[in-house]
Amino acid sequence: MLLEVKNLDAGYGYLQILRSVSLNIDKGEYVGIVGPNGAGKSTTMKTIAGLIPPMGGSILFNGEDITGLVTSQITKKGISFVSEEMNLFVNMSVRENLLMGAYIIKDKKVRNDRLDFVFDLFPRLTERKDQLAGTMSGGERKMLAIGRGMMSDPKLLLVDEPSFGLAPQLTANVFESLDVLIKTGVTIMLVEQNVTKTLSVTDRGYILENGKIGMEGASCDLADDPYVRKVFLGV
Amino acid sequence: MSNKMVVNFTSWIKSAAGISITISILVAVFAAINSGPYLIVNTVVTGGMLALVATGLTLMLGVLNIAMFAHGEFFMIGSLTAYYVFTPISEFISENPESFVAVIGPLIAIVCAAIMGAISGVVAEKLVFGPLRKRSTDNWVMNSFLLTVGLSVLLVNLHQLIFGADFKGIVGYWSGMPISIADVFISRDRAMAFVISVVIVAMFWFFMTYTRTGMSIRAVSQDITGAQIVGIDIEKIVLLTISLACALSAVAGGSLLFMYPSYPTVGLEPLYLAWFVVILSGLGNILGAVAGAFMVALLKAITVEYIGAGWDFVIPSALIMLVLIFKPSGIFGSDVRGALDK
Repeated sequence: MLLEVKNLDAGYGYLQILRSVSLNIDKGEYVGIVGPNGAGKSTTMKTIAGLIPPMGGSILFNGEDITGLVTSQITKKGISFVSEEMNLFVNMSVRENLLMGAYIIKDKKVRNDRLDFVFDLFPRLTERKDQLAGTMSGGERKMLAIGRGMMSDPKLLLVDEPSFGLAPQLTANVFESLDVLIKTGVTIMLVEQNVTKTLSVTDRGYILENGKIGMEGASCDLADDPYVRKVFLGV
Repeated sequence: MSNKMVVNFTSWIKSAAGISITISILVAVFAAINSGPYLIVNTVVTGGMLALVATGLTLMLGVLNIAMFAHGEFFMIGSLTAYYVFTPISEFISENPESFVAVIGPLIAIVCAAIMGAISGVVAEKLVFGPLRKRSTDNWVMNSFLLTVGLSVLLVNLHQLIFGADFKGIVGYWSGMPISIADVFISRDRAMAFVISVVIVAMFWFFMTYTRTGMSIRAVSQDITGAQIVGIDIEKIVLLTISLACALSAVAGGSLLFMYPSYPTVGLEPLYLAWFVVILSGLGNILGAVAGAFMVALLKAITVEYIGAGWDFVIPSALIMLVLIFKPSGIFGSDVRGALDK
């Protein structure tokens, strides 16, 4: 078990959003968390990444308890978070953004190897390597955020709403790049509003409703489930 | 390739930065021809030191989001430290004028000023800003601003209480004949002050542009969540930034001891001028702050020369109002939205 979340409670201030969320991910899996707006999908991600302190429950990564660690320590353990807002360094070039992604890697040679690896994955970024991140289009920024997340050679990549604010064509590009990533052996946990698309690409899915896990199972089964089809897919 | 460079150059000239730098250089040349090159010397010396104070201010603003109004007091701490370190050294020098201490003694005083500035910055972070960061739930900019004003009052009065309100100055750091360049005589102290500021600004620029730590300081200033995500320890960067910023201000205070003797409110003038620079050049823009520092220094020198010594704060303030009306992001303000614009 790569990641094991047990009875996680979390929220902002006095407002509790997650209530006893439990989920787990095996190495090499491609897992999706879907659910309506405000269900707590992003909160789950942010809590695992350490950006929100958990109120209760535990998070185990590779068998090690990482509950309550700060983000920088969690990143060092091998979890990389690609946030919805991307949080790029807008006044830095694409290359500098990527190099910052490898901040936890001390060896300069390894850092450059990772840079080549990401440039191979996203040739589009190679063309734009000296452009400022803030001046790129939404799709390119998303790609850069994912590329930056890959720079630290993570064991687990958390991707929050990759389709947010993107045109359908660009969304497809982003999903394609995630497909490429999963083939390189990284484990991906994906949070998405686009239920159909997510359930068609992932191996396994969780359905999050009102801060609780409503259902879980193989993605193809979930997509065929009458309840899911009625509530999320509208058919 | 050369065609592309020409295009880049023309668009730069047409930008606000290009226009203002070009005008400044023209004005400087004209003023030098009209009333003598000493005006340029003054501009360059004040500008260099102002650049140190202003980059510190920019750093505090960009990385910590603190509108620092106690930065002048770190200038004061620097000049005070340099005074107390240099006084015994200068007695030694007057007894042994040929000793090598005459050359490196002043440098020791200035380095001590920098170290003291860094230490007091760390103390300020641990006692004042750190606790506020833990408690302040919202309105951080206002709270931290008020705190810096309080810190400034406290430090000024502590100086007065412990060291008294009199002027603690020195005659000069480096003795000997002034250096003459093309009929202009520059005192050794002024020349050294300029050299020190150039060396430090260059080192600082290199540090911020190419080193991993410098890049992570920039990263924190641009997106703090992004910086956390890539694994940067924010606490460490905050402490480093604050000590660096205060050390820069203290170096300026130490190096200019021969011009500004240390007294409780010596920091006010550099503080105001540094704020002029920061507003003029755009918040959180380090390279812009260096260029802006020389512009404000030039403006000040020219105002004193052609209008009168009492006007040297009026004209820059008027200019800043104009800048805020017509280009609120500052003349070097970037088109890319920074962390502070949110």
